[in-house]
Amino acid sequence: MAAAAARGLRLAGWQLWRGCAVLQCQLCPPQRALQASAMLRGVFDEEKKEPLVSSSQHQFNSHPTNHQPEQERQGHCPSYTGQGGQESEDYESEEQLQHRILTAALEFVPEHGWTAEAIAEGAKSLGLSAAVAGMFHNDGSDLILHFVSECNTKLSKLLEQELKLVQLGEAEKKPTDQFLKDAVEARLRMLIPYIEKWPQALSILLLPRNIPSSLNLLTSMIDDIWQYAGDQSTDFNWYTRRAVLTGIYNTTELVMLQDSSPDFEETWRFLENRVADAMSMGNAADQVTLWAGYTCTSPFSPNTSADIPVFPITQTMQLQRDHSALRDGCINLINPLVKRYFLVK
Amino acid sequence: MAAAAALWPWRAVLGRRGGALRALCGSVRGLAAGTQTHFGFQTVTEEERREKINQVFESVAKKYDVMNDSMTLGIHRVWKDILVHKMNPSPGTLLLDVAGGTGDIAFRFINYVRSARERQLQRKLRHHQNLSWQEISESYQEEQFKPLGDSQVVVCDINKEMLKVGKQKAQYLGYSEGLSWVLGNAEELPFDDDKFDVYTIAFGIRNVTRIDLALQEAYRVLKPGGRFLCLEFSHVSNPIISRLYDLYSFQVIPVLGEVIAGDWKSYQYLVESIRRFPPQEEFKAMIEDAGFFKVDYQNLNLGIVAIHSGFKL
Repeated sequence: MAAAAARGLRLAGWQLWRGCAVLQCQLCPPQRALQASAMLRGVFDEEKKEPLVSSSQHQFNSHPTNHQPEQERQGHCPSYTGQGGQESEDYESEEQLQHRILTAALEFVPEHGWTAEAIAEGAKSLGLSAAVAGMFHNDGSDLILHFVSECNTKLSKLLEQELKLVQLGEAEKKPTDQFLKDAVEARLRMLIPYIEKWPQALSILLLPRNIPSSLNLLTSMIDDIWQYAGDQSTDFNWYTRRAVLTGIYNTTELVMLQDSSPDFEETWRFLENRVADAMSMGNAADQVTLWAGYTCTSPFSPNTSADIPVFPITQTMQLQRDHSALRDGCINLINPLVKRYFLVK
Repeated sequence: MAAAAALWPWRAVLGRRGGALRALCGSVRGLAAGTQTHFGFQTVTEEERREKINQVFESVAKKYDVMNDSMTLGIHRVWKDILVHKMNPSPGTLLLDVAGGTGDIAFRFINYVRSARERQLQRKLRHHQNLSWQEISESYQEEQFKPLGDSQVVVCDINKEMLKVGKQKAQYLGYSEGLSWVLGNAEELPFDDDKFDVYTIAFGIRNVTRIDLALQEAYRVLKPGGRFLCLEFSHVSNPIISRLYDLYSFQVIPVLGEVIAGDWKSYQYLVESIRRFPPQEEFKAMIEDAGFFKVDYQNLNLGIVAIHSGFKL
């Protein structure tokens, strides 16, 4: 009971935070960097302590996010009559039929966009009347949400397979940054067939009415990636990790929309840089706090000084300079902060 | 009814079969108290009711549109627009508009499809920007030949007078293509199974004696995936508005009827029949009983009117 309540609270908190994060991430990147740097401390340290994903972790999956899209979609339908679910085996339920129509409609999206027309064409291809498109929201949001949840399912299947291979010893465990990069890339590659119409979809997903469902799908996808990356955090890191990865995913998606390079090479380069930034920012923030703790306490507790690096700041700044893309946002914000802290002390 | 039977002799057979079925259904559903039903607040037999309703609409047919405008202050146009908007028909849709005598839904449907078709063609032209002039002129010709893109609307009404008014209106307004008029009873539609994409009945189902039969017929003539849409007066839940609405209905509408159409009784019946019609949830359950899926309703103006929608899957 208590665990369930705690989980509910945490999910709610996460979503609330994400609500702010979406705006902040996309509208003002400097602020995002500030927040990230402020909260990122120790994001990645647990990775080192907890080496591999164990099979028990599978059962310990405290966020069963795979079910959320389904529940969400049911809640989406204004009146579920309950007739469908009780049909015998040769009958498909209402939900299954809707699912089938939307899947068929995806084929017509490149031509008609994310519209009722695409759904109508899809229905026709299944031998149904075009009027059945009236079952879905007129703005095409049902179709988009369906597509997103399909992609998420595909991604989590992909990651699960990968995990299995690792567990069987047939593949090598990827380092976390590589894993994150590959997962996000795999997910974004699913958008390629629809990339022409994807801006339309994004704008529809950002309509106030659709934000709860689209946010839910986004968070569950991020959750999945972290879960398969071996994240077991149960403290504040849980939020920061997800926030950072969401930021990476969203910004890369935006870059992808305007990318005209062959096979979206620039997007993948950007993604790689962002993941590397996040990793180094995690390390940096971590070391800054360690160092701060050390300067505050060292006169009184010399024991701790042994494991602390002597000049973590220079090392941090060196790391920061290596990365090109978030230079403006990150270093400009972190440097003054660190320096001010340094001078005051 | 007699005229209808004479026009469609084979339907007499159907009618008898329908009667047997009806008796069966009635006994099953525990409604078998003879063939007693209601006409407004009076209790009459089913046959009497049909006859009376026929009389009502014969007498009001000519003034029907004027009365609608004056009773609802023109808002009924908005309601009908909302209905067609909700239907969102794509070019190629086959619509059956039952009890649509004066063609209000049919004309709106035609306009809507025409503009949807135009948008489609424009988008197509924009898509291939490097068309030759010939291709462009061809596409316009195509548009002229098929402005509705194979869409068709069949207006079906049980009352000849109402159909006559509708046909005159169509002629006057210049609608001819994609429009046909059929005399028929909603309880036994003269159409094949699985034929239409959308079935609409606007302010009509209230006057159908056996609503359950009408719903079954709607289910029968729709294609799989087809949609049932019903626009009908319904029940206001807000007590204050409800009181005002009752006051208006019973004190103003019959007077308007007397003044404009010279017919108090018909409009007395109209408001009474609105009160006798099942409330939103109950009617929704009836639609579900007929076999429709994903049934829901939308209240307009706090429930003075409701649009019920269902799908045949």
